[in-house]
Amino acid sequence: MFWYKSWLDTRWRFLIALVVLTCSAVLTVFAYPKVVALLPAAANVGSGALGRRIREIAELERSYRGYVWVQAFRQTLTQLGVLFAVLLGTGGLLPSGSKDTALFTMSLPASRNELLGARVATGLAQLAVLAWAPALVFPLLSPAIGQTFTVGSALVHGACLFVAWAVFFSLALLLSTSVRGAWGPALIALCAAFVLAAVDQAAGGVAAYSIFAVMSGENYFRTGALPWAGLLLSAAASAAMLYAGSRRFARHDF
Amino acid sequence: MLLLRPSPSSGVPIYLQLIEQVKHAIDTGALRPGEQLPGIRPLAEELVINPNTVARAYRELEHDGVIELRHGAGAFVSPQARAKKLTDRLRAGQATVAAAVERLRARGVTDAEIRRLFEAELAGLSRVGGHRG
Amino acid sequence: MADPFVIETVELRKRYGGVEALRGLDLQVPPGSIFGFLGRNGAGKTTAMKILLGMTRASGGDARVFGLAPGSPRESVDIRRRAAFVSEDKGLYDSMHVGAMVRFTASFFPHWRADLERKYLRAFELPPDASIGTLSRGMRTKLSLLLALCRGAELLLLDEPTSGLDPAVTEQVLQALVAYVADEATTVFFSSHQIADVDQIADRVAIIERGRTAVTGALDDLRRDYRRIQLVFDDAAPDAVFHAPGVARVRRSGRVLTLLSSAGAEQVVDEARALAPASMDVFPVSLKEIFLETVNAEE
Repeated sequence: MFWYKSWLDTRWRFLIALVVLTCSAVLTVFAYPKVVALLPAAANVGSGALGRRIREIAELERSYRGYVWVQAFRQTLTQLGVLFAVLLGTGGLLPSGSKDTALFTMSLPASRNELLGARVATGLAQLAVLAWAPALVFPLLSPAIGQTFTVGSALVHGACLFVAWAVFFSLALLLSTSVRGAWGPALIALCAAFVLAAVDQAAGGVAAYSIFAVMSGENYFRTGALPWAGLLLSAAASAAMLYAGSRRFARHDF
Repeated sequence: MLLLRPSPSSGVPIYLQLIEQVKHAIDTGALRPGEQLPGIRPLAEELVINPNTVARAYRELEHDGVIELRHGAGAFVSPQARAKKLTDRLRAGQATVAAAVERLRARGVTDAEIRRLFEAELAGLSRVGGHRG
Repeated sequence: MADPFVIETVELRKRYGGVEALRGLDLQVPPGSIFGFLGRNGAGKTTAMKILLGMTRASGGDARVFGLAPGSPRESVDIRRRAAFVSEDKGLYDSMHVGAMVRFTASFFPHWRADLERKYLRAFELPPDASIGTLSRGMRTKLSLLLALCRGAELLLLDEPTSGLDPAVTEQVLQALVAYVADEATTVFFSSHQIADVDQIADRVAIIERGRTAVTGALDDLRRDYRRIQLVFDDAAPDAVFHAPGVARVRRSGRVLTLLSSAGAEQVVDEARALAPASMDVFPVSLKEIFLETVNAEE
């Protein structure tokens, strides 16, 4: 009942996100040959911080695996994914929706936990699909350009994306229970993401537990070891925010 | 049931209006002894009034002997004898009122003024509590 | 345990930030009654209903529906299983179509009345494939009513059910309510500005003013007890004080003294006679007048 309603409320956001993320993965695959051709030119880039960064990226991109990590998991999927995670976390059954509709929903014989639970479960399921679908594009399509990408890597990266995105989803949801309006919570969550990203950049590579490091699966990429600590901390942060959100929702006056 | 048309906003209880209108209908012969009245539910639905109101009117009419409520069958106008007693009383009353109204009109009192005189008189004469059976 | 009242509130209070929406509301709604809840805009009617259904938490006082406490999450679910609510704005899911909305709502109620669903879909002429966002206000109201009536509710809470409706649809709505009450063991509690509607179908009323109960009782009792007494004097009307109980309002204008009495006319008439008016008239008082006098008196 409420699962169906949650799906109806979020399906367009979800489908658009799915198309965008999957297409971006596909484009990443087919752009590789052109990028390879450009790599030698990177060595001639001048010195300075920017130059160093470009050379570092070029170095990583020598291997296909490195290229995929830099382009998709560290950059595009991360940026787009945070945006979509936030969008999925706002609106729906929460008070920011239409006032009269909310009164009808609240007059049904269901507890607030049931309502929110359906919303959260649907959102997390959607996030999971959004994480693994583009990730699995790589093992599926890489052979088309003569490269390989292991399914195992894809699954691990997908998991990292999902767990890290869930943090922003939960933040957006928590904000939705406190901040009125459809766009307020989304803007605040995105600002938080920007701030975190800026801090991440400024600190260089020091922040081993940065949320973005978890999201891109950096540890796994560099060392092959799963970033358990980061994943657990992220999951705990999500759980805490979802719990806080459920308490607020339970006490809300409609 | 085209005979009954209470006026909800007049300030007079609807059940009283129904009682009066049923009695009047019997009095004028529009409702005959033994004839069936509409059931509580259909009448409430048709007039769009509270079923409890209809029920109360029917109960009072039964108490006054004007109608009979036969369990399972419905409401029926009481047989000749009782109805006639009421009708006679009403006819006598009607004659008195007609005479008084004619005298007042002869003195130049308008109909609206006559109505107010009766209201005031009834309010002054009724027992404490105001309920007339 | 049989509660004498389907709805009972005692000194119910609600504060929103700095605003006191309810300041001690007392209500008693007996089962089987059609209870009209009158009050001006912002007097607290909608707030009271939302508290009864557990949508809003009271700031103070006590509220019970079916003897259950709406403030308890578990009991409030039970209340909403047995009571139906139609909000003033008739909020529904605009993106769904009528049939889907009915199915969605029905999924929450195991005792959904399919017979009533067929009857009302036909009687209200609701097209199952129409998108709810395209429905007129009258159709939305009828659909909302259908969703409330088909769930086999013991209590209907309706916030301004006939507002914005043309007379034909209004009559249809009132008729559906009256027929439902006649057939099922149900209590109807509705708020309204349409005093004529309340006059027509309610058997009990309460007037709420500034968050408190100003008048309450059986409608027929109010009709019996309220009287307007008009005294005309040869000279300027005296500035008299009336000791009879229930004199709610005294107005002087030139040679006319008008009294509103809520406890019958007899004692007032006796006192009035002592003033030796040139004429004295007694009139019945409509619910509209009672309402206007009550809400104006509070100022």
